[in-house]
Amino acid sequence: MGVKIDGLKCTACMACELACGYHRDDAFALLSSCIMPYRGRKKKDYFGILLKEEESLVVTRPEGVEIMRIGMVEEGDQENEKAKADSSAKPMLLREPCDLCSDVEDGPFCIRFCPFEAISIE
Amino acid sequence: MEYLSSDKIAIIDLASSEITEEELDEDLVKERIGGAGITTTLYERFKDEDPIVLGSGLLTGTLVPASALGIMTAKSPLTGKVCHAPLTLYAGMELKYSGFDYIVFKGASEKPVYLWIHDGIADINDADEVWGKDVWESTDYMREVIGDNMIQVLTIGKAGESGSDIAQVCINYWASGDRWGFGNLLGQKKLKLIAIRGMGLLEIADPEGFVNTCRELLSEVKAGSFAGKKGIAEIPVAMGEEDIKDWIAPLIHRHSSCFNTPFAANTFVYLDEDPALLKEPDIEEPGFLLTDIYGLLGFKKLGSSASDSCRILRDCAKYGIDAVAVAELSQKSGRTDPEEIKKSFPGLKGPLMSSGKGVFSPCTPPKPIFTDFSLPSDGSGDAQWWERRQAVAYIFGIDPLFALMSPELSEEKLLELSNIGTELNLTSEILDSVIGEITK
Repeated sequence: MGVKIDGLKCTACMACELACGYHRDDAFALLSSCIMPYRGRKKKDYFGILLKEEESLVVTRPEGVEIMRIGMVEEGDQENEKAKADSSAKPMLLREPCDLCSDVEDGPFCIRFCPFEAISIE
Repeated sequence: MEYLSSDKIAIIDLASSEITEEELDEDLVKERIGGAGITTTLYERFKDEDPIVLGSGLLTGTLVPASALGIMTAKSPLTGKVCHAPLTLYAGMELKYSGFDYIVFKGASEKPVYLWIHDGIADINDADEVWGKDVWESTDYMREVIGDNMIQVLTIGKAGESGSDIAQVCINYWASGDRWGFGNLLGQKKLKLIAIRGMGLLEIADPEGFVNTCRELLSEVKAGSFAGKKGIAEIPVAMGEEDIKDWIAPLIHRHSSCFNTPFAANTFVYLDEDPALLKEPDIEEPGFLLTDIYGLLGFKKLGSSASDSCRILRDCAKYGIDAVAVAELSQKSGRTDPEEIKKSFPGLKGPLMSSGKGVFSPCTPPKPIFTDFSLPSDGSGDAQWWERRQAVAYIFGIDPLFALMSPELSEEKLLELSNIGTELNLTSEILDSVIGEITK
């Protein structure tokens, strides 16, 4: 079971990122979220979602989903370098992985707070 | 101020580059709530030094739907009134998390400077390297210098540097709701840009209660009258400009939202690339993000093609000039050729019919969108309703466009959330008083 993201429904509003940050910190903050829109390439309107899982970095782009095994993509990989740059304040690989908000009954906060229903469980 | 706040105000003397910091007094929040309520108070306090005040709403940057708004308050060089411009996209949110609730710029610098705020630190820096660059170059420059491509940049272009009446403060690469000539004001103060990064943390008085209420509110909001709609063209359609949808459709790439806003009001058009392209384009600048409803309508009414209109809008944003004013002045002078319009930027001057008459930016339609808010059908209540609705949005930090399409974001609900989030006893009487003060 894991979080599934529809990259074409996403509007990069960041609600998922803030909701995840709330789950981690019991306050509003963004640096500990394991899900975040990458929004650094605005001149190209190229955005999607990064998700840190236990063993993978899931990159959901408009053209599809790519799953990169953590440990296999650490250095030198062009896409990984881009992914790191897109979360430059605190690289995704340094963050806690998604735990599906297992300590709450209603399921992951990111799903509950996505206004566009771009996130689901599969 | 303990909750939903960084508890800090920066006061920046541009003449000396001296920065002082103050705590955000809880009593001030109890009296003026936040957003435009407090930016107005700070403006009055420093009014002898022609201040520009930036701030965020009490609920900005939270899980409250559409809590995207930051506010810029100053005396408009165009109208002579103290006015408020909306800071949307991610700018309001980043400001909220920057470590400062409010920032006051007073006086004027003798040489070009910029402000860099992050992690509760505010630095005034020499802007010689960036002065003279256009809006896009300025944003690129700051992101490269600081090494973070998510920095939000409020910047002027050549229009602001050269004292144009209709210069605009742009947000990153795009047009903003500054219809007050605030770009001219920044230029006069030699303040080239404000770079913002928010990495702070906001405590909540009752976290679970606040988040549960936000979740219930989001469910109600999502079922609202805008459900199933997206993109900037939906707004003019709702105002009776129905043919705009087919006109712009061939250029549309994707739609995006301002921070945590359930309606995707911004539309990216590809002008030099196939709009249907899903992968990352090879070219660096394939198009433009449409954020300005009336700028788009202005050039459409001038008879320009959608492609030409969007290219002129891009030129306006790069130059840092209010596209609505450019469209109006082009129409008056009979200019329709895009190249001629671009060449005319340096000499454009008012008077303008499109300037706002009140204190809130006229960048949003003057009536409800997609729904009627139970107002009289003859439109007789629209003007008064619009002003109050914008005041509420600018106080709490709600996207002012979304506020016009979501009755679910009621004054009562926003007060309730404010009280759960802060443990302050804010009342409708206090809200009435703040609205009265900022709209008088």
